[in-house]
Amino acid sequence: MKNLEMSSSKLSPAIPKWLVWSFALLSFGGFLDAAYLTFKHYTGGTILCSIFSGCDIVTTSEYATILGVSVALLGAIYYLAVFILTIVHIDTGNEQVFYFAASITLLGFLASLWFVFLQIFIIKALCLYCILSAITSTTLFILGIYALRRKIRVMTE
Amino acid sequence: MSGRNLSKQEKYEAKRARRELEAGRRRQGRLVKRISLWAFVGVLVVGAVFGLANLGEVGSGGGAILMDAVAPSDWVKGNAVASVTLIEYSDFQCPACGTYYSLVQQLNEEFGDRIQFVYRHFPLRQIHANAELAARAAEAAGRQGKFWEMHDLIFENQRSWSDQSSAEDVFVSYAETLELNIKQFRSDIDDGEIKGKVSDDYSSGIRSGVDSTPTFFLNGVKIQNPRAYEEFRNVIEQALASNS
Repeated sequence: MKNLEMSSSKLSPAIPKWLVWSFALLSFGGFLDAAYLTFKHYTGGTILCSIFSGCDIVTTSEYATILGVSVALLGAIYYLAVFILTIVHIDTGNEQVFYFAASITLLGFLASLWFVFLQIFIIKALCLYCILSAITSTTLFILGIYALRRKIRVMTE
Repeated sequence: MSGRNLSKQEKYEAKRARRELEAGRRRQGRLVKRISLWAFVGVLVVGAVFGLANLGEVGSGGGAILMDAVAPSDWVKGNAVASVTLIEYSDFQCPACGTYYSLVQQLNEEFGDRIQFVYRHFPLRQIHANAELAARAAEAAGRQGKFWEMHDLIFENQRSWSDQSSAEDVFVSYAETLELNIKQFRSDIDDGEIKGKVSDDYSSGIRSGVDSTPTFFLNGVKIQNPRAYEEFRNVIEQALASNS
């Protein structure tokens, strides 16, 4: 028994680098995307109708704000939080911080599900940058599950 | 001079000093690494935020030159010999254009006798299914001398036809309101010449660097879209002052 415990704690490998860096890259990308939409929201006044997207319909809809706060801003804060937590993990090597970042990706995933549902069934218009964000947060969530499963495996071994 | 002369005690202390020095260097190295990591992250985030803020401004910025001057085929409102000409490239289905419609109406009321206002079509077909049809409906009404009346009705009721699959019926009902010849109107909507006029307007917009709607050209120069009526008024008044 004792041997097993010892070997398991010894064998407990660090969180793989590719996972950490994917987290950093994706959350920073998501941050750029959401920050861009936030600027558009607060400085655009009336957002132009551009050739490349139907953003004007989605981002000017009544669903673009929650209690007066732009959902793009909330998204930017969320992505920045995941990014900073990942950097803290890279800096200190603290695994719990990374697992915390991995668990809050559930929030981003649920929010994205809701926004995609709104765009397809209620607003009936898609916004390119919003879809991009949905893809980013879904990927983060999948990686997050992978990270948390590893944690559970390491703990129970 | 040599290690042989040192006592055991001295040797031990020298070793310890060396080890401490190394540990200190390593600590310092780690600190430098940490500081550079966070400095890099800080610069990255702040740089991105500023970059995006500027991108937003440049994207909607003005300065491009209009390639096609006002022609007889254009729809003109206001004073045709005015020194100031405002040309709008617009999409009937674009919500922002609907907002600017009311600003332009206000401008026409205030400056109608001193400026010339031109409307050109720039339907964003990829994202607005009915924009092209609306443009053709306005042109068809124009054939019966009621372009601006149809233009107004289409903008004022933008929400009621934008998502309709049968928008054409809605436009026909507007034609009825304007007491147009309905048979003529229906056939003009699909007329090749009218389709050509709409796509000519669109191509002229592309030539002048229009990439979003509405886009305004004031005396041939693209302006940044004013964010409020007051701002729009000031821009027009400045142009009037420098051209009088």
